[in-house]
Amino acid sequence: MAAMNFGFGINRPRVIDLDRNNLRKSDEILREMPELQTCIGCGACTALCTAGNLTSFNFRRVHTLVRRGEYEGAYEEMNKCMLCGKCRLACPRGINTRGVVMLIKRKLGDF
Amino acid sequence: MRFYAPFCLPFLIGVAVMFSLIVWKYVVWFAELPRADKKRVLYGIPTPRTLAAVWEVIRECLLHRRIFRVNPLLGYMHMSLAFGWFLLIVVGWTETVAYLGLHWVPLQGHVFFRYFAPPLMLRDKPFFDFTMDLLLLFVLSGVALAWLKRFWSRAMGMRRTTRHVPGDRIALSALWFIFPARLFAESITCGIYGMGGFLTGGLGALMASAFGRSTLVVFEQGAWWFYSIALGVFFVALPFSRYMHIFTEIPLIFLRRYGVRPHEKESSGDQFQIQACSRCGICIDPCQLQSVLGIDNVQSVYFLRDRRYGMLTRDVAQNCLMCGRCQVKCPVGIDLNTLRLNSRDTMRNTPDERRYEYFAGLDRSEGAGKVGYFAGCMTLLTPRTLSAMERIFAAAGEEVWWADRNGGVCCGRPLKLSGETDSARRMMEYNTQLFRRHGIRTLVTSCPICLKVFREEYRLDGIRVVHHSQYILEMIEQGRLRLGRGMATYTYHDPCELGRGSGIYEEPRRVIEAVGALLEPAHTREEALCCGSSVANTVISDADQVRIAESVAGELAATGADAIVTACPLCKKALVRGTSSVEVCDLSEIVAKNLR
Amino acid sequence: MARRVIIVGGGVAGIQTALTLSQRGIPTLLLERESELGGKLTGWHKLFPSFTPAHEVLDELRQRLNGSGVEVRTQCEVCHVERSGVTLASGERLAADAVVVTTGFTLFDARVKEEYGYGIYDNVYTTADIERMLNEGRVAMRDGSAPRRIAFLHCVGSRDEKVCQHHCSKVCCITGVKQAMELKEMFPEADVFNFYMDIRMFGPGYEEMYRDAQQRLNIHFVRGRISEASPTLDGRVQIKAEDTLTGRPLKMSVDMLILIIGMRSNASNAVFAADAGLQCQPSGFLAPRDLFLHNTESNVGGIFYAGAVTAPKNIGESLSEAVVAADRVTEYLKRA
Repeated sequence: MAAMNFGFGINRPRVIDLDRNNLRKSDEILREMPELQTCIGCGACTALCTAGNLTSFNFRRVHTLVRRGEYEGAYEEMNKCMLCGKCRLACPRGINTRGVVMLIKRKLGDF
Repeated sequence: MRFYAPFCLPFLIGVAVMFSLIVWKYVVWFAELPRADKKRVLYGIPTPRTLAAVWEVIRECLLHRRIFRVNPLLGYMHMSLAFGWFLLIVVGWTETVAYLGLHWVPLQGHVFFRYFAPPLMLRDKPFFDFTMDLLLLFVLSGVALAWLKRFWSRAMGMRRTTRHVPGDRIALSALWFIFPARLFAESITCGIYGMGGFLTGGLGALMASAFGRSTLVVFEQGAWWFYSIALGVFFVALPFSRYMHIFTEIPLIFLRRYGVRPHEKESSGDQFQIQACSRCGICIDPCQLQSVLGIDNVQSVYFLRDRRYGMLTRDVAQNCLMCGRCQVKCPVGIDLNTLRLNSRDTMRNTPDERRYEYFAGLDRSEGAGKVGYFAGCMTLLTPRTLSAMERIFAAAGEEVWWADRNGGVCCGRPLKLSGETDSARRMMEYNTQLFRRHGIRTLVTSCPICLKVFREEYRLDGIRVVHHSQYILEMIEQGRLRLGRGMATYTYHDPCELGRGSGIYEEPRRVIEAVGALLEPAHTREEALCCGSSVANTVISDADQVRIAESVAGELAATGADAIVTACPLCKKALVRGTSSVEVCDLSEIVAKNLR
Repeated sequence: MARRVIIVGGGVAGIQTALTLSQRGIPTLLLERESELGGKLTGWHKLFPSFTPAHEVLDELRQRLNGSGVEVRTQCEVCHVERSGVTLASGERLAADAVVVTTGFTLFDARVKEEYGYGIYDNVYTTADIERMLNEGRVAMRDGSAPRRIAFLHCVGSRDEKVCQHHCSKVCCITGVKQAMELKEMFPEADVFNFYMDIRMFGPGYEEMYRDAQQRLNIHFVRGRISEASPTLDGRVQIKAEDTLTGRPLKMSVDMLILIIGMRSNASNAVFAADAGLQCQPSGFLAPRDLFLHNTESNVGGIFYAGAVTAPKNIGESLSEAVVAADRVTEYLKRA
């Protein structure tokens, strides 16, 4: 399942090719929520993530890959989120993380 | 005697159009109701609830008691227009009966009675002349207030008033002219024939002496045409405008009495609620998004308006704290939060069976006991609450099963609040099975968000669900917790989901009073402010949340209390950011600190 | 020229300003809230990057002050500042021809970051606690035993919008490295981990010190912010972070969790600003006229700044700035 192999498979090292990746959706996402660019990747969101505690879900990694134009499987990954809001209480940059989850799902999903 | 004149046409057409549209709407909405709701109505009709509904219709649709309570001046405006107009119709009908006996008189005969009346020489029934004029004056005073409200809303005790759609503007303009037009039409006729009461007769006599009778005769037809057109335009515009509420509140009251309420999925029954909104705008002022952040297009009145006309945007649906402050003020008692929730469901619910497959076989709980403690995701970030609860349980000698101290599945409410209803259901099922498997009899939670969903959505028969404030109070009352009462003063912040959401106001206050003195802030209980960090809102920024928190914490600190106490981890986290001068703590902390 | 200058705050910046002014023959009154001069430095053990004992710096400053003729008043809290003088908490008013505000900063209260458990669990400390323990000559866990696993967490109360502290406190990165090295040298058997978001080594010798910590002392640097801490049954602290470089959640139990706390602007800044019409920065630190030629002057003539009252600074920067401030005050008094 390609969808489940979202960036986690260490057997498939792969270049993030920004010459090829289509950043249109990524730009749309960042236009709607510019604060996502302020992420410093500290990982606080992922460390306390309720879902990430139970399964291999890494919010920081998914949204970073989406910003690089790597959309494959991102919707399915984001769907593991329970939207509990804990991450929003931790983000030192004050990013509206729940809004980010919903936005990415909306842009990459079917609603 | 003939009751017909060409000017009656606009009025008659208006009435016909209006009633056919309204009846058509109601029939369609009712027909599309879910079966269960239809059954509720049918079984409800032959019960005392019908009488209760009738009484409520009189109180609310005519007298507007609830608006009176919120804002007396606005209440008077609505009452003078609704009750005044209603009495004009009733007394007008009685008047025709008094003159003509119980003969059938066509509708326009009642409405334009003054025009058709001269042959009857109205002078011999001065009681009706006087009463009808008094009622007209009553209504006109309401119209005057409506004008005032539109141009100077502050005078009516409202900071802001509603912005309207075109259908509203047409109906509103027509409504403004109906009663002045009626006054002039009746006064002219009265002036010509020398009849009428103090108002129409007086004004008629004045005009007759100023312009001469012959001039009045020239204007008479025109005045009645104008009056009829104003009525006709209003009636045609009514089903498309906010004035639909005049009629729709009536079936809404009956449906509500029979137990038909909005659900987590949209249904045709919602239309009875949505179209019963009079767009009075009372919901705008209590909204903190408006008062603190200046966001003025998302309040319930605009949400209902946008949903009704099919122009609801994601932003309007999502940008709401769902604190319920508007809902407690709504004079029509519309279930605003549920309607917003089912709109969100329509926009976002995309069932995905596989999405929470990782719940399978999961159980990180520890301990054993008849009492289960569900901290909730947020409480894991407020360890002071968690360790206080540990000490309280130990002091009460309680064996506790810890559901999620090492991580667990979210209660599901945050996801539900965002509109992903079906997926939220999967979390609820997981947790329900978890609770059942461990055989607990009581479930204690520190998070009001979890509490609300446990109480309302989970099927936990045999398990009593309580908030830690309730649990602590019980323990105190049973003598299992012994507390020392100190000199400290506390002020209490009502969490939305605990207070307005679950009706728990007393227990936390009594617990606080067991350890110190309680000082109430300016807004308290049903009126309490929202901390601003509600999980229901996924739109406002972090900085906006801080601005709301600062305003709320400021009000709490103004009580001069030594500490701000709340009973929700999220409120606590929010309020800490709003103040640097006063300590913010959870109820459990002050209890644990004062254990003896 | 017998005009008097009042210096509010007797930390290193205040002392140095007073010394320079008195050298130029200007009568100077130095006011200090505590009973002892020295400010935050009094509680510090050694200074980065040279591990110079803090008392060496302080002793010399105090010595020079004794022979300088500067009038010093301790236990003297200033409540209000104006260009014409200051008002003390006792209500006493002291007139001056110029005022230098050298009130420094407030240490971030780690209890605000409740999720790290400071003040809740045993064995959670702040960098200030460690300096105190180092001064007392004994660093140990609550039960007295030697730690075998120590975690430092950078950026507590800095660059954290969740506690409304948007700014970088600048000196904590190097402080964290310094303390990690001190503890590692004290407990060579212990594993020391520093959890960071960014490491900002801005000063001379800092980067070298960072490298030394990594290579010579084998201190582990993990790029990830700790998000939660919880107590374990045996009285240690379990921490959770994301190891962002591998993209995986990380948890570990440590004997000591040390929070590297940042600098908060003083609550009194806002009061002074309101009194005298001074400008504050969004961070709450007082705003100098500009950052270049007028970096020790306020926007009000006659009121000057030196040290961390305008931004987080290290000791050297505060001392240099004090000399500049004294120079500006002298010029101002000549002109006036």
